[in-house]
Amino acid sequence: MQELLAVTGIAIGVGLVFAALVASTSLTGSVRQLTDSVIGDATLQLSARGAAGFDERIVEEVRAVEGVDTAAPVLETQANILGPKGRASVLFLGGDEHFTRLGGSLLGHSGGADFSGISGIALPAQLADSLGLAFGQSLRMEVNSRVRSVTLGVRLAEAEIGALVHHPVALAPLEGAQEISGMEGRATRILVESKPGRERAVRAALTRIAADRLDVSAADSEVAVFAQAASPTNQSTALFSVFSALVGFLFAFSAVLLTVPQRRRFITDIRMSGHTSGAVVQLLLLDALALAVPGVILGLLLGDQLSRHLFDSTPGYLAAAFAFGSQRIVTWQSVAIASGAGVAAACIAVFVPLRDILAYRPNRKRRPPSHGGRFDVRAGIAAAVCLAVVTALVVAAPDAAVPAIATLTAALLLLLPFLLRAVAAALALVTRSIRSVVPTVALQELGSSEAKTRTLAVAATGAIAVFAAVAIGGAHADLERGLDASARDIDQNADIWLTFDGKANILATTPFDKPGQVAAAVRGVAGVSQAHWYRGSFFDLGDRRAWVLAPPPSAENPIPPTQIIEGGVARASKRVRSGGWIALSQSIARDLDAEVGQRVTFPAVVPTPFRVAAITTNLGWPPGAIVLNAQDYARAWGSRAASALHVDLRPGAPPDEVAAGIRRVIGPNSPMRVETTHERVDRHYALTREGLSRLTQISAMVLISAVLAMVATVGGMIWQRRRTFASLKVQGLSERELWSSLLLESTVLLGTASLAGAAFGLYGQVLLGRALEAITGFPVFYSVAVLIAGSVLAAATLVAVAMLAVPGWLAVRVPPRRPEA
Amino acid sequence: MLVLDEVVKHYGAGGGETVRALDGISMTIRAGELVALYGPSGSGKTTLLNIIAALLAPDSGHVFVEGRDISQLSPRDTQRYRRVELGYINQSTELLPGIRAIDNAALKLLGTRSNVHEARDQVVPLLERLGLADRLHHRPHELSAGQRQRVLIARALSTRPQLVLADEPTGNLDAQRSREVLQMLTDVCAEQQIATLLATHDPQAAAFATRAHSLQEGRLAPHGPPDLALPAESGG
Repeated sequence: MQELLAVTGIAIGVGLVFAALVASTSLTGSVRQLTDSVIGDATLQLSARGAAGFDERIVEEVRAVEGVDTAAPVLETQANILGPKGRASVLFLGGDEHFTRLGGSLLGHSGGADFSGISGIALPAQLADSLGLAFGQSLRMEVNSRVRSVTLGVRLAEAEIGALVHHPVALAPLEGAQEISGMEGRATRILVESKPGRERAVRAALTRIAADRLDVSAADSEVAVFAQAASPTNQSTALFSVFSALVGFLFAFSAVLLTVPQRRRFITDIRMSGHTSGAVVQLLLLDALALAVPGVILGLLLGDQLSRHLFDSTPGYLAAAFAFGSQRIVTWQSVAIASGAGVAAACIAVFVPLRDILAYRPNRKRRPPSHGGRFDVRAGIAAAVCLAVVTALVVAAPDAAVPAIATLTAALLLLLPFLLRAVAAALALVTRSIRSVVPTVALQELGSSEAKTRTLAVAATGAIAVFAAVAIGGAHADLERGLDASARDIDQNADIWLTFDGKANILATTPFDKPGQVAAAVRGVAGVSQAHWYRGSFFDLGDRRAWVLAPPPSAENPIPPTQIIEGGVARASKRVRSGGWIALSQSIARDLDAEVGQRVTFPAVVPTPFRVAAITTNLGWPPGAIVLNAQDYARAWGSRAASALHVDLRPGAPPDEVAAGIRRVIGPNSPMRVETTHERVDRHYALTREGLSRLTQISAMVLISAVLAMVATVGGMIWQRRRTFASLKVQGLSERELWSSLLLESTVLLGTASLAGAAFGLYGQVLLGRALEAITGFPVFYSVAVLIAGSVLAAATLVAVAMLAVPGWLAVRVPPRRPEA
Repeated sequence: MLVLDEVVKHYGAGGGETVRALDGISMTIRAGELVALYGPSGSGKTTLLNIIAALLAPDSGHVFVEGRDISQLSPRDTQRYRRVELGYINQSTELLPGIRAIDNAALKLLGTRSNVHEARDQVVPLLERLGLADRLHHRPHELSAGQRQRVLIARALSTRPQLVLADEPTGNLDAQRSREVLQMLTDVCAEQQIATLLATHDPQAAAFATRAHSLQEGRLAPHGPPDLALPAESGG
């Protein structure tokens, strides 16, 4: 039974770690897969700074560079594909025969001539199936607000493109792609394969060609850019992996502790019969492996299922700027880390409680167990020191979240023995005038030195899980509120928004084509006061894919007021409206070494001087954001293309009715989405929650695992005490008294642990919030998550105690004599 | 005080066979009397004590304590009988490891009519009498085997029971400690007029009894053990 519990504990820990690792590596791995399959052997690229791209004839200059082996112009843009079964946002990619020569696996199955000859577009078979599209079938394609009817010319099967079949991509020959997207003669990047040993010279030549209007970078720079954008998601997943591993380990450790007495007797016997320490170590190692192997196998299976069914959602906000697939990527490193953690947990759990017996000498007098008071005081002092260090870190180095959280966790664990003793002493004091045996029996296990390690392991399991749930749950709630405030500020700049439809355009970054007709039609709708162009896009600044927001000068709050960190709201807004001023998020300002009022030359399509009006949060986009007015954007990006239409209503005009009128005017087949402020805010709230959903899921899993761990371990401990219950029943104690004692004991143990976890969790929430703010510049709304802490504390304690009531009742029903072995 | 009337108990021995563990035991013990039940392991001593403690039901016969047939007691009265009226020291009786000697001794008093203070006040004289005055606040692992056994005796006597059953109470002690513990038990039971039944296979322990019975294969022997030459009651 105890072995089964230990195996279960190891399996849960391994499963949670494995699932979190797979979820994390799948995201980055997916982007890496797609990037590699597109760039093939290319090592460098020349890329456009704006969605309008550049003249594809530049490729001739590139090919003329000595040392260039292949140069392939590529057109990339976001598009929507509509089929009989639905709609999907895809990365639309056009290339010529040079593109196929690079050898990327996306087109590796066909020769260049074949690809150039495609009629219509090519889609991965899985995507085509999900949209209900068959070979040769006509489909609707929306690109840059143009709606085109094209043919599905090629279905790319898994046998041909492997895992890329899971990616949301559409391919066409370069000319076809240009024609469909209305970007004739344009390319967005040129992939360059240099001859061996010539890369440096080629890069220098490309930099000259770029002439400060294009970017030169490694061909696979998308991976680094994505890693930067996904770092908060991956960091939070990693943090949870650690907590998951800790909870799983404590579960296994607690379960193995239940078997320590019998293992101790067995080892004493074999030592007495003359076996050496080496033989004992081998036996214990075998014992640990006997627990670890099934635990790891079960854990990997569990983690596999968790990653398929629970952690499978990809953060939706990243889809706005990156193309990645939905497949799971399981690396050998993930398997090795999770398995290694399982084996290590089993070894520690088996060896540590028996370390004294390894050095056992049969003739040595065994030291009586210590009551532990001195240790508790020392641990309490160490905990106080840890708390002081954490406080110093919060004040002096708020971005040191990981060491601070680790120190805080150590403080919590060190303080637990002291807290348990204090609570037990307080309870004894309070209940001493009660005429009942219940408190005395309940508190005896907490005071037992034999059971101390077990008790502490159980308490630590609960405390760590509650700590993680409260700290991350609180930070999550603060972040959610901050992100919601940012979205609300941005969306409230217009009564109605018109944007290009599609999941990838959630941040209004896809440009319109020929917007004049739409604007004219909208202005004629009853209730519309005025309509202005909003411009926005993503823009790569080194490894940062920044979000650029360019509201019209008429916008009430061009800079989200709640997100301004430096610079007065009124003055900064006025400056941005007037032009020549820009607001930068903290991280970008840091990169550009810019301060409020300072002049910076912004490396846009047309490098343009601006002055910094304000420093803001990242507006919820991890790599950072830039705010300027729409006219300045048109000048700096050299394009009058717009990505949204801001519609203001006449006083008293009902937004829903006006929005319906606009939908009628633009027609049912328009690729535009019409949203009232309320609808758009709701959509952004949903996106925020989707982006943070993995945090919620893993947090819940850690808590559920911890509750199960505590119930299983305490249940095991209770079951082992049936002999004592039988003995106490002989002394005349009733089943009701014993059961009540067990419930009180469980409540004190788990309640104290959960309370400590919750209290430390509130501190952890502040730490994480400060770190999020300092490292990534996320908008964080500070609060004390008392409600979250209270709910988690109550849920963990009540559920665990309620679940323990059943084994407790069964255990106290033991007959009043020594139970059968 | 205690009257056993033709108590019979069988056990299944596998293969459909039964073993007659107790075969018509009859006996009377008066208040203040310490009676030894002498016999080898497996002779039925523990079975008989378990029946008297209402832990086992006899197949036939009756056990009367203060005139009440204990097999007729309700579960609640049975529990009260064990808690208040009976002091039972058997081989598997344990001290609770997490609480002090004084609280271990006072355990049966708690929840009956005393709170922690009152219960402690009541057991302190008993513990002092048993030579544990300087060990009141020690936990079980800080006590010797003999001291632990004395705490158990204090617990058994704490409620001023009418009847004490002691099943090999000195089984784990050396001869010197055994004598000390048995002397204390004998003295306290005599002072408090407690009827005591002491089951033992140790002739020296049986020697502390006011009278002794020999139990052989479930039957009270017609005579006491030869080396003690004590009078024995025949069954019936």
